Amino acid sequence: MKIIMDGKEVAAERGQTIVEVARRNGVYIPTLCHVPALEPAAMCRVCTVELVEGRRTRLVTSCNYPLRGDAEIRTDTPMLRQNRKVLIELLASRCPDAEALKELAERYGADLNRFPAEDRQCIMCGLCARVCERVGGNVLALCGRGVEIRVDTSFGRLSPTCIGCASCVQICPVNAIRIEDMDGERRVIVRGKEASRVQLRKCTSCGIHFGPVIDLGPVLDRAGEGGVPAFNASVCPACSRRSLARRLAERHFEQHAVESPDADEEG
Amino acid sequence: MPESEATCCQEPEVDFVVLDRIIRDEFGGRREAMIMMMQTIQRRYRYLPEPALYYLSQVLGVPITKIYEVATFYASFSLVPKGKHLLHVCTGTACHLKGSGGMVRHVAAKLGIAPGATTPDMKFTLETVNCLGACAVSPVVVFDDKYYPQATVGQLNEFIEKVNAE
Ligand code: SF4
Ligand code: FES
Ligand code: FES
Repeated sequence: MKIIMDGKEVAAERGQTIVEVARRNGVYIPTLCHVPALEPAAMCRVCTVELVEGRRTRLVTSCNYPLRGDAEIRTDTPMLRQNRKVLIELLASRCPDAEALKELAERYGADLNRFPAEDRQCIMCGLCARVCERVGGNVLALCGRGVEIRVDTSFGRLSPTCIGCASCVQICPVNAIRIEDMDGERRVIVRGKEASRVQLRKCTSCGIHFGPVIDLGPVLDRAGEGGVPAFNASVCPACSRRSLARRLAERHFEQHAVESPDADEEG
Repeated sequence: MPESEATCCQEPEVDFVVLDRIIRDEFGGRREAMIMMMQTIQRRYRYLPEPALYYLSQVLGVPITKIYEVATFYASFSLVPKGKHLLHVCTGTACHLKGSGGMVRHVAAKLGIAPGATTPDMKFTLETVNCLGACAVSPVVVFDDKYYPQATVGQLNEFIEKVNAE
């Protein structure tokens, strides 16, 4: 299989997507709705590239276009740059303050204020719903369609299946989701609306709240690691480090007292 | 479309035996038939009751989020109870040119509800659609699943009177 990318032949394996091949060969293609660990959904369209077919070219989204035979691809033509510029300007009208868009705007010379902004804090990339399905408790859904798509829980209710993993918070390119730990509970807040509440674990040593109380069984099952014992600590990470340090120090002094009473230069 | 908010006080009891009949007997419990099951459930209750969707999710092993996504994607599914009688007025391009906008406004004013809403007595729901594929005989309305080509305001008045007389 012979793949030409921007005029150079690049290494590729059959079935890899254009983005995968580009990343592997150090060719930059912007993406907003793609992470390697999740199925591509081709929601944002900024990764569009030109696929050369004879004398014509075709626009394809590179994140979900698998290469199956010889192909020539152009990733950075004037037409694509213009295309991306407009896309970013349109997305910015939904998310005027997103850092991810500012960076792209700089690269493509987009005017973030070109269209009147209506801050909806979401570019509808769908990453949160996809990661929640894979990692979390299948809490978030993309409801509605077209420009009215919104991220919500089923029936708009507080979800009972959230595991408080915060994957959705981590993955959102425009930081529309946040987590608040308060009064022994973790709240997942999607665009200002509470999506779920998860109880937090209380450290038996110092009393602070840490990690959520969750049923990890289904998650580990899904990850194909049903045999792994679920996380079940009763002390917080800080206390556990402190107690480990204390035990190490005790052992250190015991050993020194017995074996070499005056060897304290050694770290 | 109207969203998840307040479901109505007169929600019908969901009969799981009936659901089983639809899901298992009629469609063999196949996931691929999920949308058809949802259509059948909607036909039965005139909307998609929440417990019915949770049950469907359990039986098919499809996450409720996925079912909710489907239910909110298609304009023909409703998550809030619909009236006993359903009037669809086409507001597609052809019908619009033949004055369907005025017809919608007429009915809305007469019933005192917005398009998409249901009268408080749960008798009448007014909906608009974006083209019924019968543009040649526009304007088209559908009343209780029956198509009326070249519909007139007079006809709409008749429908409303009929419903009110019940
Ligand atoms: S924190 Fe809850 S909503 Fe977010 S990904 Fe994890 S399980 Fe899903
Ligand atoms: S990254 Fe390909 S469409 Fe968003
Ligand atoms: S526009 Fe009304 S049927 Fe096509």
